[in-house]
Amino acid sequence: MIGTIIQKELTEFRRDGRAIGLLGIVGLLLLLGLMTGFANESARKQNVQKAMADDAAVFLEQGIKNPHAAAHFSRMAHKPVAPLAAFDPGVASYLGQVIWMEAHYRNPAMFRRAEDAPELSRLENFSVAGVLTLILPLLVVLVGYGSIASERERGTLRQLLGAGISLPRLLLGKFLVIAGVAFTVLFSAVLVATLFSLQTLSESGYSLFDLLLRGGSLLLGYGLYIVCLTAITLLVSTLVSSARSALLVMLGVWVVAVVGLPRLSASIAEQVYPSPDAVKFWQETRASLQANSPPPGSEDYTMLERQVVERALGRELREGELQEVAINRGALMLEVSELTGAKAYNAAFDELFANYDRQRHLRRLLSVLSPTIALQHLSRTYAGTDVSAHEHFSLAAEEQRNNIVRVLNEDMMINGVGQSFGYVASEDLWDSVPIFEYRPASVAYAWGESLVDLLVLLLWGVLAIAALFRFGSTRSVLR
Amino acid sequence: MNELLRAEKLTKAFRNSTALNALDLSVKAAEIVCLLGANGAGKTTTINLFLGFLEPTSGAAYVDGVEVHSDLNAARSKLGYVPEQVSLYPALSGLENLDYFVRLGGNSNPEETWLRSLLDQVGLGQGAADNKVSSYSKGMRQKVGLAIALAKGTQALLLDEPLSGLDPSAANEFCSLLRDLANDGTAVLMATHDLFRAKEIADRIGIMKAGSLVEILAPDTLNQAALEQIYLKHMHDDTSLEETVQ
Repeated sequence: MIGTIIQKELTEFRRDGRAIGLLGIVGLLLLLGLMTGFANESARKQNVQKAMADDAAVFLEQGIKNPHAAAHFSRMAHKPVAPLAAFDPGVASYLGQVIWMEAHYRNPAMFRRAEDAPELSRLENFSVAGVLTLILPLLVVLVGYGSIASERERGTLRQLLGAGISLPRLLLGKFLVIAGVAFTVLFSAVLVATLFSLQTLSESGYSLFDLLLRGGSLLLGYGLYIVCLTAITLLVSTLVSSARSALLVMLGVWVVAVVGLPRLSASIAEQVYPSPDAVKFWQETRASLQANSPPPGSEDYTMLERQVVERALGRELREGELQEVAINRGALMLEVSELTGAKAYNAAFDELFANYDRQRHLRRLLSVLSPTIALQHLSRTYAGTDVSAHEHFSLAAEEQRNNIVRVLNEDMMINGVGQSFGYVASEDLWDSVPIFEYRPASVAYAWGESLVDLLVLLLWGVLAIAALFRFGSTRSVLR
Repeated sequence: MNELLRAEKLTKAFRNSTALNALDLSVKAAEIVCLLGANGAGKTTTINLFLGFLEPTSGAAYVDGVEVHSDLNAARSKLGYVPEQVSLYPALSGLENLDYFVRLGGNSNPEETWLRSLLDQVGLGQGAADNKVSSYSKGMRQKVGLAIALAKGTQALLLDEPLSGLDPSAANEFCSLLRDLANDGTAVLMATHDLFRAKEIADRIGIMKAGSLVEILAPDTLNQAALEQIYLKHMHDDTSLEETVQ
C-alpha cells in the first residue's frame, strides 16, 4: 500500500512541471556550489603545493648559518586542503592556512582567505553544504506543504480514508516520497562531491577509506536533517486549515530556523564568549610568559637546564656535572627559553581554543531551536573544515616547531662548544631537520567532536516524527 | 434479511448543537434507504459516523456487525463510499485514479481489463478513461467515484448527495446502476435532497429534521405528491429546504 502511494505521488510529481523546474533549479545551484568549491580548493591545493616546495627549497639552500638564526628563518606548516572542503569550506577561510614555525614564538595561522577576499568573492562561500542547508529545506517545504492540506481541500483525503487507507499509512507514504526526493538530491550531491574530492585526496593526508566514511557520515547527518524537515512540513500540512496557510507557516519556519537562528546563534555566542582581539591576546601571553618564566639560577630553571642537556646528550647527568659539561651555554639558554615559552604559549592557545569550544557549546544549546545549527557543526566537522580540525593542525604544527628548534639548538649546544653565537652549522644540518608530514585527524576524531550534534539531529528527527504521527493521525485532520 | 448497516441510538453532539440525536436505523442487504432532509438535518453526519470520520458522542454504528468506532479499519473495509463531490487527482487519468483507490482499498494488483470494465459499467467509455481527470465534468467524476466504490466489492454503499450537480440523463444512469447493485444484494444508504429520485429508487425513505429521524416511509405506498406533502409538513418552518424543493 505504501508502494502504491509512493508510485502515485511520484507520477504526480513527474507530471507537475513546477516540481521538475524546482528540482532543476536546486540541481543547478548544487552544481554551481560544487564547481565554485572545487575551483577554489583546487587553486588552493596548487598554491599549497607550490608554497611547500618553495619553502623547502629556501630552507635547504640557506647555506652555512648559525642554527639559531636558521630557527628564526625556520619553516612553514601548510595546512593541507581537506578533500571535502569543496563540499563544505566551513570556517577554514577564517582560521588561516599557514603557520610560521619559528624559534621562541607559537604563531597563529596566517593568510586567512577571508581577509584577502575582495567584495565580489563572496561567491566563494557559496558551497554545496550551503545549498543543502539553505535550499534543500525550501525544496522539502515546496514539495510537501500541500501533501495533506491539499488533499483535504480537494476532498481526496476523505475519499482515501473512505477507500480504506489509514491516516498513519498515508502520512508514511507521503513522508517517504518527500524525504526520498530530498534524499536523492542529497545523495547525488554528496556522491559527486566525494568523487570530485578523490582528485585532492593524495596530497591531503586523508585515506580513501576515511574519505568514504566522511561521505557516509555526511549522508547520515543531512539525512536526519531531511527527516526532521519532512516530518515538520507534513505535520504543519496536517494541522493548518489550508495549503496556502501551510506554505506561509513553513516559509516562516524556514526564515526563522534555517536562515535567521543560525546567524543569530553565532552572534550570541560571540557576544557571550567574545574572541580576544589580537593585541590583547599577545599582551596577555607575553605577560604570562614573563610571570611564569623561572629566573636563571633558580631551582626550577636549573631543573629545566638539566632536562635539556640530558635530552641533548641522551644520558643522565651526574650530580654537579651540569656546570662542568662541555656544551654551548648560549644554546642551552635558548632551549630552556623554548620550554618556558612553549608552556605559556600552549596555555594561551589552549584558552583560545577553549573559548571557541565554549562558543560552539552555546550554539549547540541554541540548536534545540533550530536543527540547522547542529547540522552546520556536524557538516564542517565531517568535512574537516571546522575549528577542531584547525586545532588539530595547530597542535601538530606546534609539536613540529618544538622539534625543529630543538634539533637546531641541540646541534649548536653539542657542536658549538666555546663558540657561543659565532657557531655556524654546515648545510647538512638542514637536511636532518624533520619534515612536517601532517596527518589530519581521522574520521573517528570527527565523530567524537560531532557526537552531540548528531544526537541533537537524531532527537529532532525522532521528536518530529513522533509529533507527526501523534498529532497528524487524529480525526481532526479531516475538519 | 441481513442488516448490513445499523445505527443504535447514534448521537453526535458538537459544542453548541446536537447534529444527530439517538438515530435508530438499519439498512438490509438488497435495500436502498434514502435520507431526505434540509441542510443540517443530520444526513451527512450519519454518513460520516458510519465512515468513522466523526466519533459518536453516544450510541454506535455497525457495518456488517462490526462496530465502527472500535474497529475503524475493519468497518471501512466493508464500505463503499461516494461523496457529494467526488475528488480525484487531476494529473492522473480516470483509470489511474481508479487503480490508485482500488490498490489503497486492499487489492494490490488489480487487472487493467477489470478496471476498464468497471468504468464501462458506470458509463465511462474507453476514450474518457484514459484522459486526465482535469478535463472531466462533474458527472464523469461522480462516475469514477461510483466505480471506486464498486471496485471494493462491498455489500454496503454510502452515498452522500451523489446526484447533486448531475444532469438528468447522468442522474438517471446513476440511479439505475444503484438499483442494479441493490438487486444484486448491496445495501445502499443515500443522503439526498432529490425527492423525485428518492421516490424512484428507494425501498424506504427516512425524513430527517434537526438531527432526528422523524419518519420512515415506504415510497411504494405513496405517490409523488403525497410524499412531497409529508416532506413539506415536516419541513414546515424550514425555509431553506422549501427553496430547495421548489
